[in-house]
Amino acid sequence: MLTVLLQQGINGIVVGSLYVLVALGLTLIYGVLVQINFAHADIVTLGAFAAYFFTHAFGGSYLASIGIALVVGGALGWLINAAIFAPLRDRGSELLPLIATIGVSIMLQNAMLAWFGPIPYAFDTPYSEHVIRIGSTFFTVQSVLIIIVSTTTIGLLYAFMKFTFLGKALRAVSQDRETAGLMGINPNYLIMLTFVIASALAGMGGALLGPVLVMTPFAGTSVIVKAFAIVIIGGFGNVEGTIIAGLLVGLIESYTTQFLDPGLIDIVVFALLLLMLAVRPTGLIAEKREENV
Amino acid sequence: MIKQPFSSLLISAALAGSLLVSTPGTLYAADKVIKIGALFPMSGPGSYFGAQDKQGIELAIEQINKTGINGYKLEVQFEDSSCSPLPATQAAKRLLEQYKPNVVIGEECSDATLAIMPLMEQAKIPFLNAGSSSIKVTEPGNPWTFRIMPNEVMQGVDIATNAYKKLNARTAVLLYENTNAGIGNAKVFSDTFTKLGGKILADIGFGRDVNDFTSIATRIAGVGKVDVIPTYTLEGQGLKITQALAQAGVTKGGGGQSIQLGTIWLPFGFEQKAGKASLGYVRIVQFDPTDKREIVRGFGQAFKAKYNQDPTHINAHAYDQIILIADVVRRGAKDAQSIRDGLAATKAFSGVTGSVEFDKTNQNIKMDTIHYMETLPDLSWKALGWN
Repeated sequence: MLTVLLQQGINGIVVGSLYVLVALGLTLIYGVLVQINFAHADIVTLGAFAAYFFTHAFGGSYLASIGIALVVGGALGWLINAAIFAPLRDRGSELLPLIATIGVSIMLQNAMLAWFGPIPYAFDTPYSEHVIRIGSTFFTVQSVLIIIVSTTTIGLLYAFMKFTFLGKALRAVSQDRETAGLMGINPNYLIMLTFVIASALAGMGGALLGPVLVMTPFAGTSVIVKAFAIVIIGGFGNVEGTIIAGLLVGLIESYTTQFLDPGLIDIVVFALLLLMLAVRPTGLIAEKREENV
Repeated sequence: MIKQPFSSLLISAALAGSLLVSTPGTLYAADKVIKIGALFPMSGPGSYFGAQDKQGIELAIEQINKTGINGYKLEVQFEDSSCSPLPATQAAKRLLEQYKPNVVIGEECSDATLAIMPLMEQAKIPFLNAGSSSIKVTEPGNPWTFRIMPNEVMQGVDIATNAYKKLNARTAVLLYENTNAGIGNAKVFSDTFTKLGGKILADIGFGRDVNDFTSIATRIAGVGKVDVIPTYTLEGQGLKITQALAQAGVTKGGGGQSIQLGTIWLPFGFEQKAGKASLGYVRIVQFDPTDKREIVRGFGQAFKAKYNQDPTHINAHAYDQIILIADVVRRGAKDAQSIRDGLAATKAFSGVTGSVEFDKTNQNIKMDTIHYMETLPDLSWKALGWN
């Protein structure tokens, strides 16, 4: 039984790490803009396809493809913000950019359907078939890679937000955009930076998720619902809460599969979400909104 | 007012005229047309079905329309039914109201097919299905719905019996998506297998949004000696399940002993995508490319010539739907009612997937549409010849 508990713990942490990577971008954007980005899932999918084609069509290494997906995601975030979201924000409406994210999501999904077709891709990496067995437990090298990349990224993001000037400026904008502007900080530049960082994280998450996901143009959609739940459970806009909630959801999934039924996963996760909303609406890490991000 | 040269007006008039008389498939006003509505998933996780169905249908239409049948040409209009009840209902209504078909073919997913059926019955339009396995499609029977695919009972009883008798399996774990077809197929396998003396060690259903199957594979690894794992899911999740079971050391592909049993739902090429994890996978397919019948060889050659690839069973059963309709038209059908009656009277029709003869519930009773295949180490197939 101990082995099963340990094995499902490993499975849960691997899946949870992937959820965290996807959810971090969502929470960053919400923290700075108080906006939900429905197109985030599709940037994850595009990141997965960018990594897939880099490795399968151009013969690039998988590790390099993670960097490529990060760049593609970041570039896409910049483009979408500059072309669509920024002009809509300038009109002063909170609702228009929100609706636009839904439009961008549908547009990207259908563009990918046209480009890549509907048939699932098999994204195998040199690491996904290499299984390490220690006693009765097993994990793939891909799983180890996911945990290393996720932990490193989270550490770097934390250091960026805490210790760099840009990170501090971002936090200032999230606390009070107008006052930050009066202090000489350009909010539009920092909003752009937020979109680029969040989308780069999504793209990189896609490269790591690609070998795990059922890779179709709709792949990201299956993850994003969980990511939204994680962001709410963790506390909207709260990075530390998102990390804890992501790992928690991953563990809930694996232990529910083992001891209850995988068909009940969504019921358990969303019951937790409702419980959090009822008992602790500010999320796991309850901070004042001003201190988020 | 912008003046337009007279010559360009003439060209515009000629173009407009040609648009009025031409329809898809280069039909002309003089042709009598049988209008076929096609409801298939073109988006979402089941869209690989729709893409392949379309290829088979377009090839059949192209071949038939070269000469026509009894003065009729076939015309098809596709709508995206998305493998799901709500979009399927909307697509069916759109098709009936706007296109007014004489016959409708589709869907692949049972939940979508079941949603479409009442609309077709109400409109009195024959509905021909080739890819849904739920027993509810033909039980207790719907006068307007016909199915050429073996239903879940025919498939499930056959797979469970062969697992017990040919593979000497005594223990099984059921893996299935939580849909009408997934639950139904798993139940039939379970009932038949236990009646024969086998034991079900775990019964695991999951949603279509599950991506990582490592936790499920871990659970299966812990239930003891498992002989067979019947798996009922679409291609994408099927790939991940096969790989996860091998990684967990459960199936032959991962050094274990269990044999995964698969369904008609999976397309050809699945083994190449799953890689060595699929070693020893035994599954049923609706089309045997090694079949020596002339119709199969001709279909294979024509498909390769048109698409530069070998046909899958999804291409094949879509092709059969059209040539069965053509056969009914050849026998004198010309409208919805006579097509329905013609389908019901079908005897010993021979298609590329096998033969067709409907019982009183409009279910094809011929079992030669089920072919067993085993995946070899080089990822090629060995036909097991069990039916």
